[in-house]
Order: sequence, then structure tokens, then C-alpha cells
Amino acid sequence: MSLHPTILSLPVAIPLLFGALGMLIQSLPLARRLQIQQTLVGIAIGANLVVAVILLVSALTGGPVAYQMGLWVPPFGITVYLDAMTGIMLTMVGLLSVLIYPFALATIDAERARLGFFPMMLFLLMGANGAFITGDLFNLYVFYEVLLMASFVLLTIGGTPSQINGGIRYVVLNLMGSMMLLLGAGIAYGTLGTLNMAHIAVRMADAPYPVQAMIGGLLLIAFGAKAALFPVFFWLPSSYHTPHPAVTALFSGVLTKVGMYSMFRVFPLFFPWLLNSWQPLLMTIAGLTMVIGVLGAFAQPTIRRLLSFHIISQIGYMLMGLAVAMTPNPYGIGFGLALAILFLVHNQIVKTALLLGGGAVELEMGTGKLNELGGLVKLRPVQATIFFIAAFALAGFPPTSGFIGKLGLLEVTFSSGQWVIAGVSVFVSLLTTMSMIRLWQYIFWGKPHRQPLTPRRQAHSNQALMTTAPVVILVVLSLLIGVVAQPMLDVAQTAANQAIDRAAYVKAVNPELTEQDLRIAPPDLHLSNTPHPAQVAGR
Amino acid sequence: MTEIYLRLVDKILTPIIILIAIFLFLRGHDLPGGGFIAGLVAASAIELTILARGAEATRDRYGPWLIPLAGLGLVAAATAALLGLYGGGFFRSIWLEFYVFDDKLKFGTPQLFDLGVMFVVIGMALTYLLRLSEAAEATAVKQAALEERVEESRL
Amino acid sequence: MTAFMLALLVGVLFACGAYLILQRGQIKLVLGLSLLTHAVNLALFGTGTLTRGAPPIVSEETESLGAAILFTSYADPLPQALILTAIVISFGVTAFIVALVFRRDALTGSDLLPGELAAVINTSDPFAEFSLRMKLPDAADDYDILQYELDEVYDHPESEAEVAHE
Repeated sequence: MSLHPTILSLPVAIPLLFGALGMLIQSLPLARRLQIQQTLVGIAIGANLVVAVILLVSALTGGPVAYQMGLWVPPFGITVYLDAMTGIMLTMVGLLSVLIYPFALATIDAERARLGFFPMMLFLLMGANGAFITGDLFNLYVFYEVLLMASFVLLTIGGTPSQINGGIRYVVLNLMGSMMLLLGAGIAYGTLGTLNMAHIAVRMADAPYPVQAMIGGLLLIAFGAKAALFPVFFWLPSSYHTPHPAVTALFSGVLTKVGMYSMFRVFPLFFPWLLNSWQPLLMTIAGLTMVIGVLGAFAQPTIRRLLSFHIISQIGYMLMGLAVAMTPNPYGIGFGLALAILFLVHNQIVKTALLLGGGAVELEMGTGKLNELGGLVKLRPVQATIFFIAAFALAGFPPTSGFIGKLGLLEVTFSSGQWVIAGVSVFVSLLTTMSMIRLWQYIFWGKPHRQPLTPRRQAHSNQALMTTAPVVILVVLSLLIGVVAQPMLDVAQTAANQAIDRAAYVKAVNPELTEQDLRIAPPDLHLSNTPHPAQVAGR
Repeated sequence: MTEIYLRLVDKILTPIIILIAIFLFLRGHDLPGGGFIAGLVAASAIELTILARGAEATRDRYGPWLIPLAGLGLVAAATAALLGLYGGGFFRSIWLEFYVFDDKLKFGTPQLFDLGVMFVVIGMALTYLLRLSEAAEATAVKQAALEERVEESRL
Repeated sequence: MTAFMLALLVGVLFACGAYLILQRGQIKLVLGLSLLTHAVNLALFGTGTLTRGAPPIVSEETESLGAAILFTSYADPLPQALILTAIVISFGVTAFIVALVFRRDALTGSDLLPGELAAVINTSDPFAEFSLRMKLPDAADDYDILQYELDEVYDHPESEAEVAHE
């Protein structure tokens, strides 16, 4: 399916325009304004999802497309680039925002809505979409900042002391991560003379190793800080439990995943050989992220703090997949990345489901403290069931998406010869299961310690439906991915193949590059996509 | 919080600074200047009003319009980008040139974008300045009350 | 020489920023962050070639001179554009942090974060900033170093109001 490449600008343009319109009417009377803002946001996220799906289908069937903003000749203008991985991320974030929207509509309090919660949601969406679709390193930094500014506001909107404490830590640590990204972009410009990602990819192969290592290291720190990897994750558990549950759910589906996506995009494109030579480092980071995340979760006394430590733990699995992406194995180069993408999608779905479910409990009971909850299974059997499924999906039980993701990752790490990390990931899965059982037990099992808040101040007439339905949909999606795994895996495989195909990226951005310029892989690395003999035999 | 001299200076200087801001804005694109600087200069003009008349009075006058102004700026920027579609691409600049008494005048979508930047900067900078000034004034009032109480207890 | 001085300056700014961020107290944090952003901006400035030249604005006269002159004698405009963008962004973020710190200050009457407060109370650090104007909330005993992260330890509305009024 071919489409006019101008549509690539829509994922940024739609949220920007509607968010701006939402801000424009800020001085109208409150009730009227809220009504209009909510309608605007509904239209915008719906349109965004439609555009994202169209883009995903076009990328899957027609291959990568690039578009130059303002029709400047590359590499002088800002490039936007779409391939299947971008399409998947756009669709997932669009889907999550569509599902979180009714939850927010039903539960957000008047004060937060008055301060502009809904337009800010759109700016968050705009930043995430921009970061996914951009093909320019500095532009990536700008969109990160848009994303972060929107998330700062969403995080501290409401202004309770705990929110402000969490907000300060979040802002400071993320700002330092952004500075590392800016510094990396600056060094890339200073040494390679360009900021366009395709152009950087072309020139990186001839750059001396110190330059590669410096840019790679800075980008690793910067994206690691956004994705909450091991030494730089401290902003996440100290801030995620403070805002409104809908905000936490939105963050868990968007923020860390943007960081991880940027790694998926940048490392295979700029320096795939570093993924091999730095494999011990990446594996160490991944293992420590997993272990520390899950051990941290055991010490946590509230629902959302526990779940936010699990976010960190799961990020380690994705890094593990990325680290083996370029290692030869029986499934072919890039299979690790495919599994990492699949796992990322699974994690977005399940983590958002858990945080929405837990958040609904927290809102209903008035507390998130585990030792004060209990016995909800009789009161809310539907919620208990879906939370149970989501919890076991996170732990990786069949027939959910977590099983497929973890099994695949295990298989690819084993067959790449990475025994240690595979063992660690199995161990962490076990701990995750224990932690999830503990969580479910504390919330739903046993004797009820307290009654739901009465009278419940209902922001919306059918609040129960609007808070439960998104979680049900997410859990069903997770089960669907687990049951019809092969098509999903094929999609992820296509995405991974497109992501590691550097020549296609460069060609899509600037078709006038000659074959000479496309000599972009060092000779010692075989980046062919021809299947390994064992893979052919396996089928 | 109302200094008589400052109020006089405010009355004279604020319109002049606003004019300078407009001048800087119109000068942009081809010469040093542009929306961001113009927005900051305009915000500094209104900061003078805050200093002279106090945050509360300024809030009464401008407060409700700050966020809509920033929104208007963003709408203008998005419109400029979308107008570019007429020229063939998103963010493609379109220029209109015409002559008035041998002087070339030109208007284009980059100027619209710049205007949007200016509005956003004014709106956001003033929101921030007003918030800080209000907090500072509240602290000052509290401090004065505390000192008064200390004086009383000493007597 | 210029390049060396620039590198030295960037290093010094980074060191000072890092030192200030690691200090106790939020005003120092804000100052340290601004120093760090300045350091990064200067590093970006250094990525452009530091040549003296005409401003990189193409007017009608220079257009006729041709591309060769254009690329040799003009300063590289891109780092300036990047720095301007970075300055705008860091301005916004710094404004946001200052607003947060101010709000925090209004709520607790203290320059310290609760975690830092816990350290002060638990170790009775004599060098800790512990001004008399800051009256401890009744829940001060709850400031367990392991527990300080719990919201309810410092989400005591009544004690906060008390502190704020002090």
C-alpha cells in the first residue's frame, strides 16, 4: 500500500493542533471548557490511532518511507522516517492513549481537569510520536524535551507534597539524561558533521573507534536514563507512584518505552558492531536491571510502587533482546530484536493493564497500601480475575503474551551462547511470579480490612464500566498475542529486519546516495538476512 | 507593593518596550531578531508592570489570557506548518512579496510561525513570572507579620 | 589555544555543576543544573568551527559570490541554532524546577527534601542545615530512613499547614 508521504507529519500535527486548541479555550467557564477539551482530546486520540494504524499497515506492506519536513534536501532539513517498528510503536501508544482516556475521563478530579490535564495528555502524545518518527538526532532531543515537559506537568498537576517531591527528582534526573543526549548529538555533529540519522549511519563506519565509543556511550547513558536502566533508574520508583493512576499508567506505557525504542532505533542503525563488542556491558546492565528491579519490588508496601519497580525489571529483558540482536544464531540476525519488540509491546499492554487495575482499586479504596487492602475478590470478582490474568501475563505464564515473549527471548539468548543472562532472566521470572502472587494476594485475597470509600464521588455516571473496560480490553489483547503468536512474531520479525537494514534506511532517506556511500558495514560483520541453515531445517 | 516612581516608569516605559518587541519581531528572519527574543522582551515589559503594580493587579489584568495566548501561539505555529501543505509539503514556507512605493514587503508562513513562538513565550514566561512574584509577595507579607509579632512579644 | 580554553571551561563548568548538584539544598541544585546546561551549550558551541567570518546570512549581494566563498568564510550557523533551541528548552525546564522548589518551600518552610530531612533527624548531623524557623512536624518520629519514601509520612496535611504557617 502506498500513500502520500505527507501523512507522516500527521502523528505530530494532530496532537499539536488539538492540544493547542484545548489551551486556547482555557479562559472559558469551567464546565463548558472541560466539555470542549474532552471532546477535542477524544477526537485527537481517535484520529491519531487511525493514522497510526494506516502507517503501520503501509510500513508492513510497502517498506520504509522517509519524508523531508519543508521539502529541504536531505540531510539539511528534518527527516521523518517510518518503518514497521515505528508503526508498531505509534499504534501501541495510540491504542494505550485511547484506552486510558475513558479511565481518565471517569476518575480525574475537577482540580486536575481544571489545570489542563487533557491538553497535556495530547502534548505527551505529540512528544512520544515525534520521538518515534523523527530521523534527526537533534530533533529527537527536542521531542524528548516536549515529552518530558508534558510529563513534568502531568506528574505534578494537583500539587500534593509527595507529587512535588517526586517531581523534583524526576525533573532533575531526566534533565541530566537529556543533557547527555544533547552532548551526544553535539559530539556527533562536531566529529561527523551531520545530525541526520541516515547520514550519521553512513559516516559512522569510517569514524575512529573513540568517536564511536563516545557517541555510543553518551547515547547509551541518555536513553538508559529515559528507559530506566540499571544505574540511572532512580527517578522512576521515586516519582511514578505519586500522580493520578491514569497518569502513571500512561507514563508506564509511553515514557520508558520511548527510551527503549530509541535504543532499538539508534544502535542497530549507527553502530551494530558495538552491540557485539559491547555485549558483556549490555548484558551486565540488563541483568542488574532485572535483578535489582524485581528485588526492589519485594520491599515495596504500596501497589504502584511495587509495579513501578517491575517496570524497571522488565526493561532489562528488552535490553537483553537488543544485546543479542546482532549475534549470529540459528534464527537469523535480528531475531533478538524482533523478540525485544514483541516483549516491549507485551509489556506496554500488561503493565498498563496492571497499573489501571491497581489504580482503580486505589481510587476506590482510598489507599494503595498493601497491608490495608484485602478481600476484594468477593466485592469485585471481575477486577480480581482480570488483575490475576494480567499479573500472570507479566510473570510469563501461558497462554498470555508474556509467555511468548519470555520464551522467545530465552531461546534466542541460549542459542546465542549467553547462558548467564538466560539463567538470570529465568530466576527473575520466578521472583516476578512470587511478587505478583504476593501483590494479588494482598489486594484481593483474605479478609477485607476496609470498605470502599462511600459515598463514591462519581465523576462520571458509569464509572465502573469506564475503569474496568480498558483493563479487560488490554488483558484480552495480551491473551490474543499469546494465542495467535505466529502472526505477531512475523510482524515483529519484519519490524526487526527493517530496523537492522541500514542500507534501506539510508536509501529511503536519500535515494541519490551511490553504492559507494552505502558501503556502511564494517567488513568483519555479516549483516545479511539470509536464514541460517538450522532455521530453514527447523521449518 | 506600589512604588510611585516605578508606576510612572511603568506607564512610560512599558509601551516603548512593547514597541521594541514588535520591532524585533518584524526584523526577524533576515536580520537578528525574531519571535523568541521579541516574546522575551514583551514579557520583560509586563514584568515591569508586575514590579510596579504588584502581582495581584497584573494577574487581574492579564492572568486569564496567558494560557489562551500560548494556545493561540501553538495554533498559529501548527497553522503555519499546515499552510505549508499548499506549497507542497508540511512546514514548507510560502512567501508573498509585494512592493509599496519601491519598498519590498514580504509576508510568509515562517513569520506566522514566529508570531506563534512569540505568543507562546509571552504566555509561558508571564505565567512563570506571575507565579513566582505571587509566591514572593506572599512570603514577604508573612515575613512582615512575623516580624511584627516578634516586636510585640519583645515589648 | 581557543579550543583548549573552551574545553577547559566546559570541564570546569561540568565539575562545578556536578559539585553543586551533589550538595544538600535545592537552590544549589537549581544553580548546579543551570551550570550543567551552560556546560553542554558551550560544548555544542565548540562543535562548530571557531572561525571569524561574516554572519551566515545570505543577502542578495553575497548570493552572487557563489557557493565556494559561502562555505569557506562563513561561520557555521548550525551550532548557534542548536544552542538557541537548547537554551530555550533548559530555560523552560529550569523555570519549572524553580516553581517546584518554591512550592516545596512554601509547603515545608525548608530547603530540604524529606529524604534529606530524614538523614538530618536520624543522624543528628551537626553540620546539617537545621534552622530554628523550621519546626518539625509531629510525625517527625516517623522519619525513618527506610520509610521516608512513603507518602503518608510527609503527606500530613495538618502538620504541613502548621509548618507552612511558621
